[in-house]
Amino acid sequence: MHPMSANEASDGELIRRAGDGDRGAFEVLYHRYSRPVFGLALRRLGDRGRAEDAVQETFASIWRAARTYKPERGPGGPWLYAVARNAIVDRGRARTEPPVEAPEEASTEAGPLERAEASWTTWRLHRALEELSSNERSVIELAYWSGLSQSEVAEYLGIPLGTVKTRTRAALARLADVLEDELG
Amino acid sequence: MTREPDFRELIGDDLPEEERARLERIHRLLVAAGPPPELTPALAEPAAEFETPLFLPRRRTGAVLALAAALALAAFLGGFLAGRHGNQNFTTFKSLQMHGVGTARAASATIDLGTLDSEGNWPLKVDVRGLPRLPRNAYYEMFLTRHGKPAATCGTFVVNGKTGTVRLNAPYKLSQFDGWIVTLERPHSTGHPVVLST
Repeated sequence: MHPMSANEASDGELIRRAGDGDRGAFEVLYHRYSRPVFGLALRRLGDRGRAEDAVQETFASIWRAARTYKPERGPGGPWLYAVARNAIVDRGRARTEPPVEAPEEASTEAGPLERAEASWTTWRLHRALEELSSNERSVIELAYWSGLSQSEVAEYLGIPLGTVKTRTRAALARLADVLEDELG
Repeated sequence: MTREPDFRELIGDDLPEEERARLERIHRLLVAAGPPPELTPALAEPAAEFETPLFLPRRRTGAVLALAAALALAAFLGGFLAGRHGNQNFTTFKSLQMHGVGTARAASATIDLGTLDSEGNWPLKVDVRGLPRLPRNAYYEMFLTRHGKPAATCGTFVVNGKTGTVRLNAPYKLSQFDGWIVTLERPHSTGHPVVLST
């Protein structure tokens, strides 16, 4: 019997449970990380079909390797990132042409992981978006990636402009809380 | 190109400087990172079995960039904002016209897109006109498309006469798609002729 529901559990706890064959824990991990994995794969491989395959390979690897996860060596997020990176790199090696990757900010992570490490911040940000409520997430997506002004977002969602601003602030603050470790 | 949001417009001027700086760092990250990709319907749920990995068939050969998705979303939402009108039980957010294709050239349809519900469903009211009489056991199916190819089903329907109104549902992020079609489906048939298209 688990003391907390899978939805509330940390990534590390979910990996541990998945290693014990808990399919429900694995599915929660899938829903937390499928979009970040897909995003990472798309940036690395530049092809949607190959990226879909890489997502499948990544989660197959997570399911198989979860038993080897050691919580004392670090939290679950970086472990998942490493598994995803390896699966995506393996798929990328099959290419004859260089992988396509969109330009992005340099990662704050040091080390020899090069291109994959440069995606770490984006990975964490996309993962953190999954922590937002659907209302908060909507205003962020519309404001940042649809080209709508705040007034247009309010009209689109059918809510007052003040509510849009309140939700936007709350969403940014929530993301800042989640990413505090990465931002330093 | 999607415009970069104005941070001051987003959060106003009344935050303490420390909090403002904290949120601005997130703002910069969001701008730099771009949107996470929407999962394809095939990736919406984990595969049923992972002991023997099940790899998805390749559905497309061309790369679809996240930027294109963002632009499509902007274009799509821009259309939505053009007008809203409603009736008793169905508030129309946007109407789209479909035209007949192939042997159904004389057909047409109007898709009324309802208001997105809290669960993520777009209700659809589709008025069809002049569709061919359906063969025995046949039915119509509406799809959202990418690059003209069916990508996600919005449901099946039949109409008894040449005109009719049907209610369907699109439980998807519409920004992932670029059009709508209706196909004629027959059991055991490999052909899926398109009869209506936006």
